Formats: sequence, structure tokens, C-alpha cells
Amino acid sequence: MARNTLKLDTSDFERLLAQLQDAGRDAQLAVTQALEKAGQKISGDTLDVINDANLPAGGKYSTGETKESVVTNARVTWSGSVAEIPVGFDFSRPGAGGFLITGTPKMKPDKALNRMYKQKRYMRDIQDDMYHTVMSHVIDKMEDKQ
Amino acid sequence: MKNELIAILKALHSPAYPVFLQGTLNEAAAYPPSFFTIWNNETPDGNHYDNDAAAFNWEFSVYFYSNDPASVNTVLAAARTALKSAGWAVQGLGYDVTSDEVTHTGRGIDVYYHQINPIGG
Repeated sequence: MARNTLKLDTSDFERLLAQLQDAGRDAQLAVTQALEKAGQKISGDTLDVINDANLPAGGKYSTGETKESVVTNARVTWSGSVAEIPVGFDFSRPGAGGFLITGTPKMKPDKALNRMYKQKRYMRDIQDDMYHTVMSHVIDKMEDKQ
Repeated sequence: MKNELIAILKALHSPAYPVFLQGTLNEAAAYPPSFFTIWNNETPDGNHYDNDAAAFNWEFSVYFYSNDPASVNTVLAAARTALKSAGWAVQGLGYDVTSDEVTHTGRGIDVYYHQINPIGG
């Protein structure tokens, strides 16, 4: 029979695991809120561009159906552990302005919309903000429970 | 890399399909029967070494328009294959795009090329 034993007290770990579990449940709410906030920013920025008189073709796309096709007040849907929210133009609606992002053979892409939807930086900044929002929420929740 | 991209697209068919910059076709003129357009969305630095860019990430959108709806899919698929063989990265299988003319349909893909910048270049 061994005279020396190695012990590991797991009670501190159990408390940490319980905190993480609670934080995980709260994280879903934080993710939903972060995504909806990001969706509002994207729709706001898209509408700002649409309202700009400098849009291609003399700004004829800045009103009416194109403006109405911008997704606003979207809600988050969860599929298992994946949350998603629609952003940009609703292509089921007439006049949806996807062509403002891609351009057409006779009309260059709109610079601002191309920057938002085709270049990486705008969406990366939005995702960074969402990540920091969620992590701050989780960390705050864990610190509350100590 | 724009010239290299144009060369790959032109080599797909004989006679070559024309390749234009997106948005540069004359408003008053009719579309050619089939053609490509391209747009360089951005070319950010890929990474850095010794206070200079060591690589560039070229990001293009490639569009194909045709009055033959079937070839819109097949030609763009062939473009995807040729670009991947030449070392380009192609995201997904593409998406439909709006055409100015009711006679033509269009489809696009986003393509990327990681270009190493020689040191001191």
C-alpha cells in the first residue's frame, strides 16, 4: 500500500464548471442581442448609402422598391448552436438592390455597398464587435458569480 | 494579376469570350452574345515582413453573361475549374446576378489569389 498519495481537490473546478455552464446559457441571449445589434447597424448603413444622391444612374435607385427591399428589424434564428440573421437586400422583393453591390455590365458597382458586402474589412469589424460584446457579457456573468 | 485573370478567361473558348471591366459597356449598345466582366473588389496586404508587404490578396468578382441560359452555368463552371488549376481560390459555386438586358442572364463567382511579393519588390 502506497504511503504517499497525490490528491486533487476538484471542488474549485466544479464551481468553475458550474459558472461556465451558467455563462453558456446566458451567452445565447448575448449572441442574439449582439447579432440583432449588428443587423441594425448593417441595415442602417445600407439605407444611408441608398439615400445618397451619389448612387449610380443618378440616384434613381435611392427610393421606392429598392429602398423597401433592404432588410430591417430582422430577428435571429437558431439552428442548434448556430445563430443567423438576414442582412442586406431581400431578394424575394421586387427591385431588390443586389445589382448595386455587384454592378451590371453597364453600371459600375456602388463603391460604398461594394465595400460593405464584397470587401472583408467591414464585416470583419462587425464580427469583431459582436465577439467582444459576447465575451464581455460572459466574463461579466462569471465574475458576478465568484 | 488582372492580366493573368483575363488571360485565363480568354483561353476558355475559341474564339475567346470578350472580357470587360464591370460597368464599362456602352449604355446605348447591345450586349455581345456572351461575355465576361470582372471587378477587383480589393487587394489588401496578405502579410508583412521587414516593414513591407510580403504578399497581396487579390479579390475579384467574375461575371459571365449570355443570351444562352445553359452556357451561363457551364462556362462559369469551366472558369472555376481553370482558375483553380492556375492556383486561384474560388469561393463556392457562384450566384445569379442582374442583367441590364432581358435577352441575357448572368452568374458570378468570387475568386482570390495570394500573390507573394518578392522581398524588396
